[in-house]
Amino acid sequence: MESIKEENIHHTALKLAEEIKNLSIYKSFYSDIQKLVSSPNVKKEDFKQTLQQAMKEKGLETKLRNTIYHLVRAQNKQTKLDPLTTLSKASAQWEKRIHKSLNSMCSDLETSLAKLRPQSEQEEIAEKWQELSTYNLDLSKYRPVYAPKDFLEVLLTLSGYVPFTKDDEPKWEFAHLPLQVKSLDQLRKVYPEWASGELLLGANPEATLSAERAALGARVAALRYAPLAQEFLKRGSPHCLRAQLWAHVLGVELSTQQIAYFNKLKKNVLEVDLMIDKLIFKDVQLTASNDDQYFVFEDLLYQVMLCFSRDGEVLQQLKGSVGNPLTVTIKGKQTSLDSITVFPPSGIIPFHGFTMYATPFCYLYDDPVQLYYTFRAFYVRYWHRLHYISTHPQGIVSLCLLYERLLEANEPLLWIHFRNININPIRVVFKWLMRAFSGHLPPDQLLFLWDAILGYDCLDILPLLAVAILSFRKENIFQVNTIQNVDAVLADLSTISVVPLLQLALMKP
Amino acid sequence: MNQDAKKLAASVYGRVNAPVVERCRLNFCTDLEKSVLMSNFERRGWHQVGPDDEWNFYWASTQTCRNLFSVESGYRMNDNQMINHFPNHYELSRKDLLVKNIKRYRKELEREGNPLAEKSEVVLHGGQVGTRYVHLDFVPITFVLPADYNMFVEEYRKSPQSTWIMKPCGKSQGTGIFLINKLSKLKKWSREAKAPFHPQLSKESYVISRYIDNPLLIGGKKFDLRLYVLITSFRPLKAYLFQLGFCRFCTVKYDTSVTELDNMYVHLTNVSVQKHGGDYNNIHGGKMSVQNLKLYLEGTRGKAVTDKLFAAMQWLIVHSLKAVSSVMANDRHCFECYGYDIIIDNQLKPWLVEVNASPSLTSTTVNDRILKYKLIDNILSVVLPPDGVPDVRWNKQPNPEALGNFDLLIDEELLEKDEPSSSIGKSIKNIKNRVT
Ligand SMILES: Nc1ncnc2c1ncn2[C@@H]1O[C@H](COP(=O)(O)OP(=O)(O)O)[C@@H](O)[C@H]1O
Ligand SMILES: [Mg+2]
Repeated sequence: MESIKEENIHHTALKLAEEIKNLSIYKSFYSDIQKLVSSPNVKKEDFKQTLQQAMKEKGLETKLRNTIYHLVRAQNKQTKLDPLTTLSKASAQWEKRIHKSLNSMCSDLETSLAKLRPQSEQEEIAEKWQELSTYNLDLSKYRPVYAPKDFLEVLLTLSGYVPFTKDDEPKWEFAHLPLQVKSLDQLRKVYPEWASGELLLGANPEATLSAERAALGARVAALRYAPLAQEFLKRGSPHCLRAQLWAHVLGVELSTQQIAYFNKLKKNVLEVDLMIDKLIFKDVQLTASNDDQYFVFEDLLYQVMLCFSRDGEVLQQLKGSVGNPLTVTIKGKQTSLDSITVFPPSGIIPFHGFTMYATPFCYLYDDPVQLYYTFRAFYVRYWHRLHYISTHPQGIVSLCLLYERLLEANEPLLWIHFRNININPIRVVFKWLMRAFSGHLPPDQLLFLWDAILGYDCLDILPLLAVAILSFRKENIFQVNTIQNVDAVLADLSTISVVPLLQLALMKP
Repeated sequence: MNQDAKKLAASVYGRVNAPVVERCRLNFCTDLEKSVLMSNFERRGWHQVGPDDEWNFYWASTQTCRNLFSVESGYRMNDNQMINHFPNHYELSRKDLLVKNIKRYRKELEREGNPLAEKSEVVLHGGQVGTRYVHLDFVPITFVLPADYNMFVEEYRKSPQSTWIMKPCGKSQGTGIFLINKLSKLKKWSREAKAPFHPQLSKESYVISRYIDNPLLIGGKKFDLRLYVLITSFRPLKAYLFQLGFCRFCTVKYDTSVTELDNMYVHLTNVSVQKHGGDYNNIHGGKMSVQNLKLYLEGTRGKAVTDKLFAAMQWLIVHSLKAVSSVMANDRHCFECYGYDIIIDNQLKPWLVEVNASPSLTSTTVNDRILKYKLIDNILSVVLPPDGVPDVRWNKQPNPEALGNFDLLIDEELLEKDEPSSSIGKSIKNIKNRVT
């Protein structure tokens, strides 16, 4: 037994060692080690021991560990997706519709998807980069390409099922998709710390717990070791450590290269006028600018969202999950190879509220570059799943299905009530799910929720919270029978304490 | 449910349930028919009467209150009456008197040899050395004009690059305020003010304060804090701080250049000023909650400095109150809710700008309305005895449940007893510890 296990480990190690050679960091890492080997600290007689010690001291060991951690995580997550034909078809159609709508908006407004900015405009934007809110644009004719409710309509057609035909038939649309989701009991196994009633930050305001978490968290943050930081986040981060811990878990480290890359993105924003830019301005204005929790960060958000749209690495990292973006010619450029651009370079078309994926990070980072990279890592790891159709177990379709199943199994009376008043229960929570509750919960509560997402590396907590909120407000829901009134009951989440509510749902009755 | 689940449930549900309000029919009178007031009175089932009727509870303007207490009025309040101002609130709320009282308070402590009045030398802007109070340096240097003109000039010469702010003593909402960066500008102003066609101006006194030119900026914009402080007694001092304050942001980026010196949208944070600007947003009204400010500061600057800032603000409030407690007419019928204006500088040091005795109860946004409604509700439940009927004989020690969103800042009566178990004592001791 033991020897088989050992052999396995040996085999995996060999495989990983091979794979590390293909990573971009390998070259610099290798040369760092070579330098170490030639230093007096490393002795020929006791080579292994002294080299390991020297690597520890130089922080190279942590770097190696983090690299392996991210490598293994990425591989585990590459579950072979069962390409449900209905879903891939719907997804392709939806993408076509979006592209069509972009194109027709363009021709209606007599503009082009991509064109060079005149010099004067470039200068103005460069000058106002720190305060783009004062950059005057007439956006009155621009409309968001789509809103959560449009996306929901698409999702609701996925199974082609017509509801309310017979009484004893399975209900609601998502239930007809052959996707596996967890039961509440299975979720309890995913969140054992929560389910067993351990003390969590955000649930137990006692000063001793915060002090204890702060002290432990400071030590964890100092180690910069991703898996440890992730483990720590399960029970909630003190606000003051979150910026660091999230960056560690996501493997975000600011290097001069990355700062230069960000400036390159900015340069592209200045040079090329993409129609997407107007949509981004519009979205920031419609969301953050009018929100008392985020309006002060308006200017920061313009920078971050504009640069995001130019980031080809996003598209690269998400290849296969976000469809096939348009390619267009940049008007006004000499026809050559670089006059063709992917539209937008990130491949991501923002919808109404897209900015909300980034807004909470404003409470963690002052610096746009730091904010940018943590936000981007979060997006690439999670948020894109919330607005693209896929069969991924963490994709929006599975999350909707999970929500339905949880509601039906654990709040049967609510379920029946929704049936009786002829409202599909996904309708009243969909925007929460699609925006991961951003803009709906107060920022401190939202950040605790996102701690748990990172800590457990899992989005299942979103539908669980949706059910928990419904269950918390059910007495009020029972008393109303129109969608407007249900929405009104659920409109204000400012008094919701996320962590206790979720823990209550996860603890055995 | 097991024990833990019960505890959890309590913490979940506790936030939503509105406390049950004692319904007893009080007669109230008000000079101010603001909806946040009226809806609170109505919810409590109170009955509105006129000022000449028999009222138990009067939400009065400061003027009415002063009249009631004046000798000429001959009005005597009975034991079951209560009013929302102290007769000489202006000791705190007039800009000149506030500074005068604080200066006197510091001198007194200094004379007593109290360690609170410790001084140290600092290097000023201009390179000269001056002295500052170590623990009580929380108002910008201020002089009353025209009375202290010579003293001002002396101070001005020490650092001639500084900017100063001129404010009429008796006005509010940013009216009559302007900035000065040259003595000549002040001289020009005083010549014009004394000119025969402005006789009314010459009577008016002003304060001139060092302009805090390094405010903490968020998103490049200046803001100040509006905190609500409830006083139920000045001797012994009993004060409560409302947790739900807010920041008021300028609509225009902060800019210290001389050309912007007259641009009030850059320098004055009053909503009454900002709402006339083209960039005013009436959905959020330029207001962000203090809790979110705290979250932001903890996230971006760290917990230690944030805690220190908030402790320093409590410290500042308590000492501004102690500075006036000896001169306030401590009538047992009175309570008062003050609006504190505080600016935080970029070193995270808070500065007291002014204290308002009638903070605005107008709601500019939906959240503003919710906040002010809660404020009034919590005030009523703190100032009224548990049975809900005003009674001057009550010891003014509300139950912890009655506090709502108020935190006890200080209760000298409780401190006197020095109950080691009381949580209140603890926070005050913390403040004391900073000094000893
Ligand atoms: N010393 C100062 N430094 C910087 N800003 C100040 C100073 N004093 C006042 N201000 C600004 O001017 C505004 C109005 O001043 P304040 O003293 O509150 O007078 P008012 O009674 O008119 O509101 C403040 O809210 C603040 O934004
Ligand atoms: Mg003021």
